[in-house]
Amino acid sequence: MESATRDRPTTNPPTAPSLPEPLPPQSAPPWVRVLGKKAESLASWVSQWSIEQRVLAGFGLVFLGIVVISVMSYRNTAVVVKNSRLDTTSHELIQLLGSIEEALIAAESGHRRYLVTGDESYLKAYRGIVEQMPEFSRYLQALAAPSGQQERATQLEQLIKQQLDIETDAIEQRATQGADAVRHLALPGVAKRELDDIHRLIADLESAEQQATRTRVLQSAGTTRSTIALLGLGAVLQLVLLGSVYFLIHHDITNRRRVAAELRRRGELLQAANKELEAFSYSVSHDLRAPLRHIDGYAALLSKTAGEALNDKARRYLQTISDSAKQMGQLIDDLLVFSRMGRQEMLHSTVNLNQLIRTVIHDLRLDLQGTTISWTIGSLPEVPGDPAMLRQVFMNLLSNAVKFTATRPKPRIEIGATRDTPGEVTIFVRDNGVGFDMQYVNKLFGVFQRLHRNDEFEGTGIGLANVRRIIHRHGGRTWAEGAIDQGATFYLSLPLKRTSS
Amino acid sequence: MTTVKPILLAEDNPRDAELALAAMEEHHIADKVVVCHDGAEVLDYLYCRGSFKSRQCGNPVVVFLDLKMPKVDGIEVLRTIKNDANLKPIPVVMLTSSREERDLAQSYALGANAYVVKPVEFQQFISAVKELGVFWGVINEPPPEGN
Repeated sequence: MESATRDRPTTNPPTAPSLPEPLPPQSAPPWVRVLGKKAESLASWVSQWSIEQRVLAGFGLVFLGIVVISVMSYRNTAVVVKNSRLDTTSHELIQLLGSIEEALIAAESGHRRYLVTGDESYLKAYRGIVEQMPEFSRYLQALAAPSGQQERATQLEQLIKQQLDIETDAIEQRATQGADAVRHLALPGVAKRELDDIHRLIADLESAEQQATRTRVLQSAGTTRSTIALLGLGAVLQLVLLGSVYFLIHHDITNRRRVAAELRRRGELLQAANKELEAFSYSVSHDLRAPLRHIDGYAALLSKTAGEALNDKARRYLQTISDSAKQMGQLIDDLLVFSRMGRQEMLHSTVNLNQLIRTVIHDLRLDLQGTTISWTIGSLPEVPGDPAMLRQVFMNLLSNAVKFTATRPKPRIEIGATRDTPGEVTIFVRDNGVGFDMQYVNKLFGVFQRLHRNDEFEGTGIGLANVRRIIHRHGGRTWAEGAIDQGATFYLSLPLKRTSS
Repeated sequence: MTTVKPILLAEDNPRDAELALAAMEEHHIADKVVVCHDGAEVLDYLYCRGSFKSRQCGNPVVVFLDLKMPKVDGIEVLRTIKNDANLKPIPVVMLTSSREERDLAQSYALGANAYVVKPVEFQQFISAVKELGVFWGVINEPPPEGN
C-alpha cells in the first residue's frame, strides 16, 4: 500500500473527480489492478469447481506445504549434522597441532641437551618425532582438508622438515666431531627461528579453525531455529489437514446416517402402504363380487319366475341389469389383474416368443368363429422375462388386434421383430383394423382410457395399461402408431439382458 | 342308498345360499342341503353339538365351504376337519369369491379337495353349483363311514 500512495499523483487531487471512470479502480496502481483481476479470474475459475475438486485442491495445497517443509527441515538437519562433523574434525586438528608443537619443543630441547652432554638418552623425543612424522603429516592433511587449510598444513610440514633437518645435521656433527664443534650451536639452539615460525603457523591454523567453528555454530543455531519453526508450521498444517479430514468424514457420515434413516422410514411407510393395498385388493376381490352375483342372480330368477308375465320392455330392463353386473364383474377382474401385475414377484426365465405367440393365437382362435384372419408371423427371438406376464401382454395385444379388425372384410395381423438398438429387441403387432387418431396416442396406454365407444367395441380399457406396466417391469418401452381406418401398429422393446426390477 | 347323506353348505351370505339352493333345486338335490351360516355352526354340525345335538350323527357327503365367514372362517374350519381322523375323509370343496393366489395355495396345502371361484354371472354360477352338487352328491362315491 505504501507504493500505492507513492505512485498516486498526490500533487493534483482535483483531477481525480473529473475522471469519468469510477474512483476505486482508478485509485489503485496498475499492478494492484492486474493482481486484483488475476485474483478475480482465479476466484471465478475456482467457483466453477465442484465441491470434491475444491476439497482435493485444498488438500493438495496443504500436502504440498507439508512436503516443502519436510524437504527444508531435512536439508537444515543435514547442515547441522555436517557442521557437527566438521566441528569434531576441527577439534581433532587443534589437538593434533598441540601435540605436534609439544613434541617439537621436546625434541628441540632434547637435542640441545645432547649437543651439550653427548648423552644419547636425550635424543628420545627427537627420534620419536622423526619416526612419527609421516603419520603426523598424513593425519594433518586429512584433518586440514575439510576446512580448506591444506596450504597452511603443507607449509607447516615443510617448516617441521626444515627444523628436523637442521637438528639432524647438528646431531651428526656432534657425533662425528665432538662437543667442541657444536658448542656454538648448543646454547642458542639451531632451529629457534623455524620453531617460532612453526609456532606462529600453528597459532594461525588454530585461530582459523576456531573462527570456522564459531561461524558453523552460528549457522547451526540459525538452521536449528528455522527447523523448529518449520516443524511447528508443518504440525499446524497437519493439524489443519487432520481437522478438515475429520470434519469431512464427520459431515459425510452424518449425512449418510440421515439418508439411511430416511430410507428406512420410507421403506417402512412403503411396506405399510403395500400391505394396505393388498388388503384392499383382497377385499375388492372377495366382497365386491358378491353383490354383483346377487344382482345378476336375482335378475335371472325374476325373469325365470315372472318371465311369462313380463312385457318386452321389462325383459330388456332385466337384461340390462344383468349385463351391467357382468360388465362390472369383468372390470373388477381386470383391475385385480392390473394391480397384481404391479405387485407380483417376477419370475426370471427365458421366454421363446415364437412358441408363446403360437399358443396365444391358438387360444384366441377358439373365440373366433366365422372370420378368417390372415396371420403373418416373423421370426421372433428368445427373451429373458416372466412367461405368464409376457403371455398376458400378447394375449392383450393380439385380442385387441382381432377385436379391431373384426369389421374388416379381410383382416390381416402381422407380428415381427426388429433389432434397431443394440442390446434390445423391438416386437411389433400390426393390424389393418379401425386404427386410431394419433392425437390420442398418449391416452392409449392409460388405465380406463378408451378410444372407442362401448357399443362399437367392448372392453374395459385396462388391457394396454397392463401391457405397458408389464413391459416397464421388464425394463422395456411401449409405443404405438396408427391412423383412423388405416390400422394400428403396437411396438414394445425388450432388453436382451436382464435389467428388470 | 338307504340313508340319504346330506350336503353341507357353509355360506354366511343368505342371498348366496338362496341362489345356491335355487341352482340345486333344478336337479332336485336341494332337499339334501343343510345350510350353516358361520364356521362355528359348521363345526357344531360336524361334531353333533349345540343346535345339532339331536341330529342323527354321520358325516355329510361333501362340505361346500366359503372362505370368509363370521366367528370361525373357512380356513380354520378346513384345518379342523383335516386334522380330525373322523372328519378327514369328508370331501371339502372351497366355494368362494376369492381368486387370490394365497387363498388357493393355503386351501390346497390344508387338504381341500377342490377350489371353485363363484362366477359373477348367474348362469355360470348355477351351472357350477349344479355340477358340484351332482358330482359330489350323486356321482362321487363317498368314503365309507369310519364307525
